[in-house]
Amino acid sequence: MAGDCSIRALWILNNLDAVVFSRRFPVVEKRWRAACHSENESSGDDPVKYNVFSSLPSDLELAAAFADRKTREGSVRGFGIRVSQSKEGSDSWVDDPITRHIVGFYLNREEEGENNLLWPLALHIKGPYCILILPLVEPKHVKAYARLCKRSDCGNAVMADEKLSSLLLDLPSITGAFMVAYAIGEIVTGDVAEPEVVVSQSPSVGGLLDSLTGSIGISGISRAKPIAAPVASSAPSGAAAVGALAPDVPKSGSRLLDKDALRSFISSAMPFGTPLDLSYSNIFSIKANGFSSLDIPPQDLKQPAWKPYLYKGKQRLLFTIHETLHAAMYDRDEIPDSLSVSGQINCRAELEGLPDVSFPLKGVSTSKIEVLSFHPCSQVPEQNVDKQALMFSPPLGNFVLMRYQATCSLGPPVKGFYQLSMVSEDEGAFLFKLHLMQGYKSPLTMEFCNVTMPFPRRKILSLDGTPSAGTVSNTEHSVEWKIITSGRGLSGKSIEATFPGTVRFSPWQTPRSTSFRSVLEGTTDDDSDNEIENTNNMVNTEEFLMEKMNEDLPPVDLEEPFSWLAYNYAKVSFKIVGASVSGISIDPKSVSIYPTVKAPVELSSQVTSGDYILWNTLGKCPSAVNAKV
Amino acid sequence: MAEKPPPKPVSPQDWESLTEDFRHGGARREKWSCLYPSLAELALSSILKKEFPFKIPLVIFLDEFSHLLFPSNSLSSLLDRLVEDLRTIVQSPIDGVHITYSLKEQMMVSTTSILISTNSVEVRCTAAVVELLLAVINRPNHGLDRHARAIACECLRELEKAYPCLLSGIAGHLWSLCQSERTHASQSYILLLTTVIYSIVSRKLSISVLNTSVPLIPFNFPEWILGPEKEGSGIGIGLNYKELRRAMAFLLEWPRVLTPFGMMVFMRMVMPLAVALDLQPSMLKVQFFGMINSFHPVLCHVVLIMYSRFSEAFNEKEKDIMRRLLFVSLEMQQSLVFRLLSVHWLMGFLNRFMVHGGDMEKKKSIVKMGFMFYPRLFDPLSLKAIKLDLLALCSICIDSLKARSGSDMFVGEGKSVVKLFQDGLISVSAFKWLPHWSTETAVAFRTLHKLLIGSSSHSEAHPSATNELMESAFYSHLKGMLIDMILEFQRLVPVIVAFVDRLLGCQKHHWLGERLLQTMDENLHRRVVIDYRIVSYFLVFDRIAENKTIPPRKLLELLTKFMAFLVEKHGPDTCGKSWSHGTKVLGICRTMLTHHQSCRLFLGISRLLAFTCLYFPDLEVRDHARSYLRMLICVPGVKLRGMLNLGEQLLGISPSSHSESFFSMQSPRQYQDPKKYRNISSYIHLERMIPLLVKQSWSLSLLPLGAGNKSKSFCGIRDSEASIDERELDASIQFQITSEDERVDKPWVPLYVMDSKVSEILEILRRHFSCIPDFRHMAGIRIKIPCNLRFDSESFNHVWGGESPKSRLHGVEALPVLYATVLKFSSPSPYGSIRSCHIPFLLGQPPVSDYIPGETALLDIDDTYIGSGEEEAYKAPVAIELEPREPTPGLVDVFIETNAEDGQIISGKLKSISVGIEDLFLKAIAPPDIPEDALPDYYLDLFNALWDACSSTSNTGREAFLLKGGKGAAAINGTRSVKLLDVPADSLVHATEHYLSPFIVSVTGEHLIDMVKYGGIVRDIVWKEEALGLLLDANTSGSELNRMPLQLTFTENEDERESQVGINKRSIGCIEILIFLPPMFHILLQMQVSDVSTLVQIRTDHWPCLAYIDEYLEALFLT
Repeated sequence: MAGDCSIRALWILNNLDAVVFSRRFPVVEKRWRAACHSENESSGDDPVKYNVFSSLPSDLELAAAFADRKTREGSVRGFGIRVSQSKEGSDSWVDDPITRHIVGFYLNREEEGENNLLWPLALHIKGPYCILILPLVEPKHVKAYARLCKRSDCGNAVMADEKLSSLLLDLPSITGAFMVAYAIGEIVTGDVAEPEVVVSQSPSVGGLLDSLTGSIGISGISRAKPIAAPVASSAPSGAAAVGALAPDVPKSGSRLLDKDALRSFISSAMPFGTPLDLSYSNIFSIKANGFSSLDIPPQDLKQPAWKPYLYKGKQRLLFTIHETLHAAMYDRDEIPDSLSVSGQINCRAELEGLPDVSFPLKGVSTSKIEVLSFHPCSQVPEQNVDKQALMFSPPLGNFVLMRYQATCSLGPPVKGFYQLSMVSEDEGAFLFKLHLMQGYKSPLTMEFCNVTMPFPRRKILSLDGTPSAGTVSNTEHSVEWKIITSGRGLSGKSIEATFPGTVRFSPWQTPRSTSFRSVLEGTTDDDSDNEIENTNNMVNTEEFLMEKMNEDLPPVDLEEPFSWLAYNYAKVSFKIVGASVSGISIDPKSVSIYPTVKAPVELSSQVTSGDYILWNTLGKCPSAVNAKV
Repeated sequence: MAEKPPPKPVSPQDWESLTEDFRHGGARREKWSCLYPSLAELALSSILKKEFPFKIPLVIFLDEFSHLLFPSNSLSSLLDRLVEDLRTIVQSPIDGVHITYSLKEQMMVSTTSILISTNSVEVRCTAAVVELLLAVINRPNHGLDRHARAIACECLRELEKAYPCLLSGIAGHLWSLCQSERTHASQSYILLLTTVIYSIVSRKLSISVLNTSVPLIPFNFPEWILGPEKEGSGIGIGLNYKELRRAMAFLLEWPRVLTPFGMMVFMRMVMPLAVALDLQPSMLKVQFFGMINSFHPVLCHVVLIMYSRFSEAFNEKEKDIMRRLLFVSLEMQQSLVFRLLSVHWLMGFLNRFMVHGGDMEKKKSIVKMGFMFYPRLFDPLSLKAIKLDLLALCSICIDSLKARSGSDMFVGEGKSVVKLFQDGLISVSAFKWLPHWSTETAVAFRTLHKLLIGSSSHSEAHPSATNELMESAFYSHLKGMLIDMILEFQRLVPVIVAFVDRLLGCQKHHWLGERLLQTMDENLHRRVVIDYRIVSYFLVFDRIAENKTIPPRKLLELLTKFMAFLVEKHGPDTCGKSWSHGTKVLGICRTMLTHHQSCRLFLGISRLLAFTCLYFPDLEVRDHARSYLRMLICVPGVKLRGMLNLGEQLLGISPSSHSESFFSMQSPRQYQDPKKYRNISSYIHLERMIPLLVKQSWSLSLLPLGAGNKSKSFCGIRDSEASIDERELDASIQFQITSEDERVDKPWVPLYVMDSKVSEILEILRRHFSCIPDFRHMAGIRIKIPCNLRFDSESFNHVWGGESPKSRLHGVEALPVLYATVLKFSSPSPYGSIRSCHIPFLLGQPPVSDYIPGETALLDIDDTYIGSGEEEAYKAPVAIELEPREPTPGLVDVFIETNAEDGQIISGKLKSISVGIEDLFLKAIAPPDIPEDALPDYYLDLFNALWDACSSTSNTGREAFLLKGGKGAAAINGTRSVKLLDVPADSLVHATEHYLSPFIVSVTGEHLIDMVKYGGIVRDIVWKEEALGLLLDANTSGSELNRMPLQLTFTENEDERESQVGINKRSIGCIEILIFLPPMFHILLQMQVSDVSTLVQIRTDHWPCLAYIDEYLEALFLT
């Protein structure tokens, strides 16, 4: 059974912990029962008397188990690592952050005895929904996990014989289950985003459906229901919400679940519970359009399963290099600034037939590319950095051809420092001094550039100061400085912008809700007399205030990189077009298509900011050791 | 279920709610149970209805709940109808509205699923369905229904999986279909063919996969399905390798057309096939290894599975795999869960690689790669945590490799594990200043834990791992780090305590937690600054106090200092604080009392408590301290712990989980020297000549606060230079008074009411005290404890390899000898310095049977034989001379250094000698100018004077008596006690004569005098033949008797009262005993003897000795 992925059942719960959709796969379940049967027979003399729970829960039971785990683990995802509240037998007892994603439920069924662990459930939270996928594993794996989470000792040693890591390595079904969960998540929330491909001429460039409707000539085809419009979405991945707490609970959403769309997706993607293809656009095209007699299979080749339709029409090839720049700017001697690029090449190949496309990647050797990974359709020769030639047989529609991590070869587009000093408890003086686009030559153009100073825990009363360039505005909890507003792009020159000012806050009030503390707090101890003493030792206002504010700092989720709220920083957001900042590029002339056709190749690039943070030079800042790769 | 059954569903809405009810389960599903068979029938007929929009969901519903809806009794007919429905739908033309491809596909899927899951090999139905499906797929490249064909292939594949070899007879047809199919459905054809081949190979059917002679349709149900478990029955055994390899070669041509999931399914079957058909795994490598470069997680995982199956073939690819997995974790575009998974895979991979993979060098280079990946700044904390795990794993792997290869290898580029760890931890370094509940803190300490327990698994109990751990650089670093953290970041204390708790709670790593606590105990007290911030350490102190392996001395000293600090700092604005802090300190004391043996604590804790109840500003704290102190003194250890534990249980705090056996552990002072000298005490014995009456298990000793104390002295004996009027008395003595009548807040009124009697008493006392040497200024009073040193020849030779006494005939000559033995003594008790003892020559004691052959029986009968006669030769008398600073029992540790015959130096520790209270009993020193015949009277006078001075009404307590030498002075603060001994008079007299005769000063009562005189042992005392009544009168006068416990137990019971009266009536006399306790204290006993019981009135000027006296009397008279 190893090496396969089958789903026993899946459930979708809403934010009221009620099951809104469920699907069970009896064929898989039958295999599970057979496995349980033989396992229970073979382990007759097993010292650990543990009979594997052998039937699926009803929606009611599952919802109860879900709520039960939520209570036991503090939140939907759970603690993840062993904390003082962790109970033996619960997920966090295993002490591994992945238990926030791979969860186990205890079903409350008296007749089944105590051993009613339902594991592994892939948990994916999307919008207001929690998606739970139960893949088929062998009963012995469930037993192994049960032992892990019921061990009475202080936790797993890294070299232990029985580990979660080994289990996960042996269980590709879990990996598959997450793929299913993500696919379903996109459907239930309706934000199926195809990778963006920027096109200069044609205004109507969408995804697969556009190429279909364009080619077949059917204009009024109703698009697959749940998708609002699969137009090029502008949401790049990896741009996390900064400064705000990403709450663990699902956000409330207004969309209603489209059960028909979901049901038909599941029926096609995994008719018997074993996923075959999770491509949403393919499945919905087939469901919606079917095939006509005009769809003729290729003569000598087999049409790939991931390309049910072949393109017909005007041929062209589009590439978009999309890079996201993450930076931590410290402006300190002891901590070097760090700047990293995560990029991807999106592609859209409007080519007839089943051609192979190949081209050499330019700049791979010069721009320090750390990671390259590719779409399954591509064939990667043995990694040879100098001649990184890539060949692929493109699928239909927009797709991500490759991804990479690199360093920024051009240097930071926004460079400088941010200093904030609290002159009193409620007043801060700040100074920005920034260089924009230093060393960036045309055609690199900065379309816009904003700097935001978030103060999520303080209320801004007033703001003084005038920047040397751009405009300033403030909301209750943040100051925004627009250095370059869209429409007046900056190209071919660099500018320097300074912004001295003061910001006044309303007096700090200790939020009296301490409920959040219970989430990750260790031992409860009310050493209030402790702090009284500390006051006297505080050297300056800054530290004192910091200390005071930290008293009520909630613990962050494990999905956050650090406690954003504990730091003062400014976040820069910008967009640069014209070229990549990593130096990676494609020469349109060297792109070759086999069998040869004449098709124009278009290339575009855009760079956006991800977490581009200027840490307050005068305050505390998080850092990490930069390891050489 | 009394409700009437719900109406049968008709409309789509009915069906929809029915479906919901079934999914929901519970009662909502239950109500339909009576309709089960007919529900399926209804559904099946509804599906065929033309105008019915709910068809597909209904089909899925039947599929999902087939185990309920298709009960076995009507299964056959229902299945028939189902297949009929399927045929109807599949064969109907598409109209785009009612009959769609979706419906056809779903119908095929669900029918198949129902057939399989109802678990019935209904040959008829299955064959019919297979035939239908085969008809569907038998139209390759047909444009319109290509997806339906794909689905039909999937249905056939499921059937083949459920009934292996179902389709093997038509494998040839399937192959040719597969070859011709070119649409996107080809994946399903390929997978179907692969599945068929897979089951042929696994069932070892010798069947031709090229043969198309059997027609595809009509489908014949193969007979080998029906004969279960008979492998290859009817077909013959043996695979047709050639054909199968050809088929495989065909299949392996087409991996690129598969979707990632299709690939997963495909690879799952190909891998065992490759093994069974002896294909080269390297072929798979060439074909599929490239998938590792895909960003599709499923494909990466497939490669990993492939690696674990064919690790030899993938040799040299480990680095690629490592690198790729590490990179997945870096990919910001990837979902977090896959980044986490990739690190997990990596760890699982490394784990396996370390066990199975190649040579050392390779392992090293692979493991080293792990060090390239520190957590990055913007990595989510969960990823940081798991990356730190990876670092820990790598460092431990490297360590183990280093240990095995013996070469000096550094982690990474010259980095030690410690450095690695420090670097790694920077990414969560904010834990130091963030609140202790922050996630960063949790992650950091989780990593600490992982690294600390390192490679020691919980399953095996291997002591060597323990040693390794203790010696590891990381451990010593961590120790220091924890201490520094505690001192620097007090907010971390709760976390550190939780960390230690986690270790303590673990059976395997309990010792590690203890060791950490010990380290803290050793280092913390030195470095901690005494101020209010100490409070934040109380959590740690509490754990230290709980732990029996840690001597409480240091902690007690610290707490005492802290209490002194609190007393000093006390002001009007610190009231609440004082209370809170004082209470917390007492809480720790209580913890100690519950977990330690009283004797270990006594000294320190009693001082702390005494100080607290004297000086602490808060009344409640004082009160509590007082009650703890009382309990400590008056309640024996085990009982005390029981009481305190009981309190804890009542408070809802669970009692200590530590096993009871810890209580019986000896204090660390008594740890033996290791190795060779370990058992020295088992054959060299130093024994008391006179055994102790009471085996003292505890000792009470009050020393002045803080050795070499600074400004304030709480000295027991005051120098006369100090102003007498200050009346600053020994804390230990003063305490007794205050505890009785709260005099601490009253101002001292020097009250001198002198009458002739008082002045007479004072005169006697002054005279007496002036004879007592002041040990601080001159040699004090010494007591001697006679002992014998001997050793067993046999065991001595056994250990030291001397001549074995083989020639028994030689007798004495063969015995081992010790030369120039030096015995050194030391004691934790206040006995001053003890002179060492020298024994020039000692002969070993021959084995018992050796030296008195045939007389063992006699020996058994009369113990007194031992120690007499010839045997004395084997014993050397030793006298231990003590100069007690305080009359307290205790232990004297004995160290021996001696030379064996061959010059070997033997040294080690012998069993300690216990000093009992009775060893300290001395006759009071008589002034040299008193003639011998006046001595009895002198002693009687002294007795009476002390008796009076020790009563609470006496005001001699205000008087300081100069000691000999005139530099120091002593004060008398008396305490009283009574004890009723239920022993007959004659045995009392006998015991008294035997043990206490030197101390008797007078005997009163005619009858008693007769008894005592008759014994003849007691001489030179005052005999008072006073009338019995008078005696009683004298004693009952005043309020004293009212305080006696006897009188207090006033009951209504006539008999008891009578018996009390009876006791009084039969009183036959009174014995008065005066015992001097060095250095300057006294015990006065007045025994009122009656026929069956004796009431002992006890007075002393050293209250702590009451407890010992109590035990002593009990041992003396009652056993």
